Amino acid sequence: MMLLERIGTFFTIILQLVSEPITLAILFGSVLLGIIFGAMPGLTSTLGVALLTALTYGMDTATAMVCLLAIYVGGTYGGSYASILINIPGTAAAAATALDGYPLALKGEAGRAIGLTTTASAIGTSISMLFVVSISPIISYFALQFTSFEFFLLAFFGILISGTLTSPDLVIKGWISGFLGLFMACVGRDLLQFYPRFTFGFTQLDSGVEVVPVLIGAFGIPQIIQVLKERFQIGETQKLQRIIPEIGTVIRNVPAIIRSALIGVGIGAVPGIGEDIAGWVSYGTAKNTSKHPETFGKGELQGVLASETANNACVGGAQIPLLNLGIPGSPPAAMLLGALMLHGVTPGPMITFEHPTFITEVAAILLLSSLAMWVTGMLLAKQVVKVLRIPPPIFMPIIGMLCIIGSYSLGLNIFNLYLMLPVGIICYFLTEMGYPIAPLVIGVILGPMADENLRRALMVSQGSFMPVFTRPVSLLLFLVIVWTVISQFQFYKNFKNKLVARLRRKKSVAAVGSNGPPAEE
Amino acid sequence: MKKSLIICLAVLLALGTVAYAKDFPKRNITAVVVWGAGGGTDTCNRIIHAEMSKFLGVNVNVINKTGGVAGSVGMNYAFSRPHDGYTLCGLSESNVTAGVQGGWDKRFDVWDVFIVGGSPDVISVTPNTPYKTLKDLIEAAKADPKSIKAAASGAGSIHHLNLLAVENGSGAKFNFIPYKGSAPSQNAAMAGEVSVVVTSLAEQQQLLRGGKLRALGMLIPESFEVQGLGTIPSSFDSYPGLSKYLPISQAIGFAVPADAPDQAKSVLVDAFKKAIATDKVKSWAKENYYLLSGATGAESKAIFSALESNFAWTLWELGAATVDPAKLGIPKP
Repeated sequence: MMLLERIGTFFTIILQLVSEPITLAILFGSVLLGIIFGAMPGLTSTLGVALLTALTYGMDTATAMVCLLAIYVGGTYGGSYASILINIPGTAAAAATALDGYPLALKGEAGRAIGLTTTASAIGTSISMLFVVSISPIISYFALQFTSFEFFLLAFFGILISGTLTSPDLVIKGWISGFLGLFMACVGRDLLQFYPRFTFGFTQLDSGVEVVPVLIGAFGIPQIIQVLKERFQIGETQKLQRIIPEIGTVIRNVPAIIRSALIGVGIGAVPGIGEDIAGWVSYGTAKNTSKHPETFGKGELQGVLASETANNACVGGAQIPLLNLGIPGSPPAAMLLGALMLHGVTPGPMITFEHPTFITEVAAILLLSSLAMWVTGMLLAKQVVKVLRIPPPIFMPIIGMLCIIGSYSLGLNIFNLYLMLPVGIICYFLTEMGYPIAPLVIGVILGPMADENLRRALMVSQGSFMPVFTRPVSLLLFLVIVWTVISQFQFYKNFKNKLVARLRRKKSVAAVGSNGPPAEE
Repeated sequence: MKKSLIICLAVLLALGTVAYAKDFPKRNITAVVVWGAGGGTDTCNRIIHAEMSKFLGVNVNVINKTGGVAGSVGMNYAFSRPHDGYTLCGLSESNVTAGVQGGWDKRFDVWDVFIVGGSPDVISVTPNTPYKTLKDLIEAAKADPKSIKAAASGAGSIHHLNLLAVENGSGAKFNFIPYKGSAPSQNAAMAGEVSVVVTSLAEQQQLLRGGKLRALGMLIPESFEVQGLGTIPSSFDSYPGLSKYLPISQAIGFAVPADAPDQAKSVLVDAFKKAIATDKVKSWAKENYYLLSGATGAESKAIFSALESNFAWTLWELGAATVDPAKLGIPKP
């Protein structure tokens, strides 16, 4: 009965919202703004939500939530545009999308890739909405199983997996790049005892290395140099006709989409980590479970689908601890928390008593946002792909300008430009030497989390590493990390091949023994 | 002729300047909150600035710049911006400790503070711990010093100082684990990573009423009636010795560099006084267990220099400070 009643409220709320033209206008406006924020390197969905928060003060709570959730959903999706079209992720969340999205664009299938990511993102958000409305108390119980050790291991895993996935030749290069990022994250005052590390007396470095200038410098500058150096036109733009949703392709990938959405919801629900790590983990899972992992990184649609579905599913996942415990699940959700409190809604365990329909309302708004995103995305995709027709000698300098503005716009801090340029130039040489860049950026993003939580965990356990093995979640994470490392070594691969071969032989022997006809090879 | 032209121009220029100066604010104002989003200082700033925006006619954009010692990164950042009234610094009483902790090399009176108010602190435990009353907890901590883990947002924060005061007033010793803000420290207490947490009632009330945390005592002389939970007793009842160290009250608000143009400051004061008297702010304060203050100018300066010397010397005596407050010219309380 409860459930039926809830479904009833759900549709009433949707009808109410849809029947008001102003709400609809705000919905589409915010989604579009979000997509623009996401697509522009340097402007992130966190910034978008933060900027809009103050504007929503005059609105009622429901309209404000429409505005903020729509920009959040749009921003998370919009990052894929820049990833696919110019190989510079618009947001960190879309970094994994660039791995296969850009090769697709080079093949002339940019439109197809964008069309599919649009559908995948919408499905991801919708699936996450189902979780918000149905079993969010259970998920928030699991979110509470995360203490400092788990946060450390998760952050470390995020850096490691992005290194494993992006290396073109030797996997160790990816890890080296990740640890370079981790090292950069250590610059600044440490978060527990406030000791300045590697700041060389520069007060600007006290607060550490900011993510956005590193993101833009590391992805943007090497790409600009590369394109201008090789004088090629990105992708053939003739094959634009396939932007209409490819229902067939989507249906074929339904299991992969659902898996990616589950990963996104799960990671979103863990406090403090967001879309970026969700994209990587999902991409990694897709690659590892694929029958043809060698096609990943060369324009594999499944790769794009995996990261985009997961990062959008993360939006809903992040609402779960936010609404049920008052703990933001991702950086933009932290902004949402502020906005909610501004409207007199204090999220927490009492929310179902104080605002009984609020969680259902959020779910309804999420569904509407994903629909609006899908419609807007489908209309935009065809137009957006046309930017590739601009000749690189004109297009790339414009991107360069955007990079500079993007780095500076964050806090209007000129120091960020001094940071962006050297990072970009170093990253160009790293790229030339075959070191992937994404792990470096992920290292900078997740580094503070790894550093702070490891040290706090050791404070709590008084210097003992034992909790890693006694706590179930951390043991699981630890084993996954060990497996990630070991599976890259040759002896493991030999061992695995032998094992598989032996199993196969046994099976065929067994088959011969029981059934008579020999098993096919 | 020439002379009169010059005089005319001069008058015009003067008028223009006056008109120009009167125009504050001409563009959006940025409030740099030095604590994390969703915390007490952040919410308070978002509420008051949203109301002030209406009276100022421009938006006040609230951003968060956390980190450093006692919010020093955000404070240094806000202070490094031009002192024109367009950059405010959202802060709280805890920031006065940045000086003695080596993150801020000036006295606190370089700021003109606007105090919105504060919420009283409460000491709570994870519900599945055996501590039903404050006495249970303190006795357990006394029996085995440093065995019980206690959380509060970063070292030198008001919650940490309240925890230190509880230790001093009762003789118990906890194993202090710092977190990045109130929300993560409460999360750690709910997850059982730590057993004890000290944050403000405003930040904890949802979790207390939802049974995710158990309140043991208010860290003010009075008990507090919480709707749907009953009365939380004052911890002074069982440990009168606490009155020597407590209460250390919150003073949340924002600040503008004291040498900003007077005209800009008076516009801000005017908007602030109007904003704090609105029903919206009043009802928000009541719903969220805040006591409003509204102090500005000399009044808030006096409050903050008292807080500064109190905090700085307490920390110094506790050995938690790295810079001698005497070196900074902070008088003893």
